[in-house]
Amino acid sequence: MKQEALNISNQGEKGLSATKPSKYSEYKRRRKIMLKSQGFITAIILLLAIWSIWGTGFNLLSLFFGTYEILVFIFTDMFPPDLTVIGQLIGPALDTLYMSYVGMVISVVVSLVLGVLAADNLTPHWTIARVSRAVTAFLRSVPAVVWAIILVSGIGLGPLTGTIAIGLSGIGILGKAYAEVLESIDGAQLEGVRATGANWFQVIGQAVWPQFKAGFVSWSLYKLDMNIREAAILGLVGAGGLGYYLQGSINLFQYKEAATAILMIFALILMVEYMTAKIRERII
Amino acid sequence: MMETILEIRQLKKTYPDGTEALKNINLSIKRGEFIVIIGPSGAGKSTFLRSINRLSEPTSGEIIFHGEDIVKANRAKLRKMRRNIGMIFQGFNLVKRLPTVRNVLHGKLGYMSTWKGALGLFNQEEVEEALSILERVGLEDQAFKRADELSGGQQQRVAIARAINQSPSIILADEPIASLDPNSSRVVMDYLQKACQEEGFTTIVNLHQVDFAKEYADRIVGIKNGEIYFDGPVKELSDDVIQSIYAKGKEAMPV
Amino acid sequence: MIKNKETYRQQKKVQNSIFTFLAFAFFIFSMLQLNIVPERIVRSIERLGYIFGNMFPPVTNEPVSLFTAAIESIQVAILGTILGVIISLFLAVLAAKNLTISPYLGYAIKGFAGFVRAVPALIWALLFIVAVGLGPTPGILALAINSIGMLVKVYGEALEEIDMGIVEALESAGASKVQVILQGVFPSVMKAFTAWSLFRLDVNIRYSAILGVVGAGGIGWELMKAAQMSRYDEALMVTIVIFGMVMSAEVLSEYMKKRANAASAQALN
Ligand SMILES: Nc1ncnc2c1ncn2[C@@H]1O[C@H](COP(=O)(O)OP(=O)(O)OP(=O)(O)O)[C@@H](O)[C@H]1O
Ligand SMILES: [Mg+2]
Repeated sequence: MKQEALNISNQGEKGLSATKPSKYSEYKRRRKIMLKSQGFITAIILLLAIWSIWGTGFNLLSLFFGTYEILVFIFTDMFPPDLTVIGQLIGPALDTLYMSYVGMVISVVVSLVLGVLAADNLTPHWTIARVSRAVTAFLRSVPAVVWAIILVSGIGLGPLTGTIAIGLSGIGILGKAYAEVLESIDGAQLEGVRATGANWFQVIGQAVWPQFKAGFVSWSLYKLDMNIREAAILGLVGAGGLGYYLQGSINLFQYKEAATAILMIFALILMVEYMTAKIRERII
Repeated sequence: MMETILEIRQLKKTYPDGTEALKNINLSIKRGEFIVIIGPSGAGKSTFLRSINRLSEPTSGEIIFHGEDIVKANRAKLRKMRRNIGMIFQGFNLVKRLPTVRNVLHGKLGYMSTWKGALGLFNQEEVEEALSILERVGLEDQAFKRADELSGGQQQRVAIARAINQSPSIILADEPIASLDPNSSRVVMDYLQKACQEEGFTTIVNLHQVDFAKEYADRIVGIKNGEIYFDGPVKELSDDVIQSIYAKGKEAMPV
Repeated sequence: MIKNKETYRQQKKVQNSIFTFLAFAFFIFSMLQLNIVPERIVRSIERLGYIFGNMFPPVTNEPVSLFTAAIESIQVAILGTILGVIISLFLAVLAAKNLTISPYLGYAIKGFAGFVRAVPALIWALLFIVAVGLGPTPGILALAINSIGMLVKVYGEALEEIDMGIVEALESAGASKVQVILQGVFPSVMKAFTAWSLFRLDVNIRYSAILGVVGAGGIGWELMKAAQMSRYDEALMVTIVIFGMVMSAEVLSEYMKKRANAASAQALN
């Protein structure tokens, strides 16, 4: 009905009937292409899902009973948390903090070297840059837990292991970040200082550091934030700190103690995040 | 001969923060009228327009549209009534990442079953209608471009096409040309006027530009401080009246 | 004025020196607290040298089981991501301030997501193992729930940034809530959603590689076995496989992001 009214109101009757079918077929053509590419993506996702369900023996129902079981577990076995163990937890919590911090310092020191070597504008030679980048890429792609597991069997249980593992994986992240910050430094300023006949150290101090400082501080603090989370779970494989305590209490079916340990991890994460945010504000 | 299509009685709107945006609006609108609302910034023009289709909930009052009170309608009823009210916005409000024609098709959503509409399953008739409306607003060549690739004026014409596609009996336009240059403004207003004449839409437009208002309106309503301050045909809108509408303060002046 | 600036700079300098000093002091203090003293460092370096020497050449005695374990990890990551994405889509719409049906529900979902996000994936795996038993299932559920924590947040933020004008326009055309979301909102946030989902797949593959260490399926367990038997050459092999998984996940998700962007850039119907 509306259709008629529209046609009447349009003067170019002939032109209209000539263009309209082709316009509609254009619409259909485009829609088909889009449906095809959407269908292709959906099909891939579906296939991946089916393949994964088949491979892992995952039962979709476990989504429901899993949710149910975890709720039951959390609310009957873990709740209320046993707060009397807080005293025993302060030691491991501090260990976690120390591990994160020392691990950060280790990765900062090593990453500074690797970063300078990897940055295109500061590297002594491009092959060195390549090698340095490969090392950081490798360290970045291997999770800290992997290092921790290997080190636990080599050096033994305890926080030293965790510290080294955190330090190693941190190099992967900070090495890359520092190199990128360094590469974004204004070259003209660098040249200016070089032109005054300054040596390498003077160039770094006068031209590089002022521009590098902000990126350096915020990336390092970000890494400290990350380290707390990592340190907390490294303990699960025996590398000391809160995670170790958590693993122990779960092995002994002391779930209410485990709940307290989790809350403690929580509190530690929040506290460190708050502090790093404050420090970042002050320095930058 | 002219029936009343929209009857607004004692419409009040107080925002949660206590701002009395509309104090007591009474207005009767006849089928086919082209009404332009003018008034200073903050007078309540947008609030008034948005109260009509309840994008902004009225605090009290009645809005009788086709014999039924919009204010009292429940959700389902409101949906049905809204598809009879096209709305055009200052910011065009198109889905920028979708092609133009799809934006026009959105005008049909209110008529479709929820799932068909949600999945965008438009049939041939609906697509062809959308395409022919695009032709009428002069955008037949832009049908498959992404909406954000069009100029502002073109985008507003797409929005007009979307409103036309609702087959509404009334169109509300809230400052449709406020973010366009004078040339595009004229083009957009011309298309709006043309569509309304051809289809017999009743039209209510908020405008800041008094010259445009005078040129396009059959009837002008001046709103000031949430109240109707002037209501009459263009020729009654003297410069004095205009001045006092836009004047600061609340000097008393009879309507 | 100038003098003020000068003293300010001076103050800043002093402040920074204090910070540096404190940072260094805390470092030494932490080392002592952790009992990391020179002799221990020397001894560990010796041990590290021993480990390193025994790592080469990397070998594997059971290439098939290593391969299946790696595949299982990837499958755990895929399922965890898919479940996480689907559930987060619903929750994010309900959590976003501008789309929620009730602000309280929104706060509740955001609070839930915040909590779930703050507990690391490995701890979730540990809890799920207690609740549903060993195997890939607790791993999948742990990744799914940890993904929800993150995705609800980032999806929600993307949703809260949309232009509400679109919602108003479709609502005023008489569209229902579902129509508004699928026709107006999702097309506007598709790109951000895709990028975040792929990013999360990347993260989940990293996590899935280590879930095995607590018994939640996948390649982590192979690493545990090798390390417990002090077979560092085998451990290195597993590490190399993990490295390969993580690297290819990164490359693949980069590629898919480009592809997805290209597909949406075609601006088809
Ligand atoms: N969401 C809101 N909450 C509180 N007060 C509002 C809200 N929207 C508008 N107002 C107030 O209501 C009054 C009327 O606003 P309205 O937007 O309707 O004016 P307007 O005539 O459209 O102005 P303009 O010409 O600037 O668009 C103003 O005082 C405004 O500050
Ligand atoms: Mg307004």
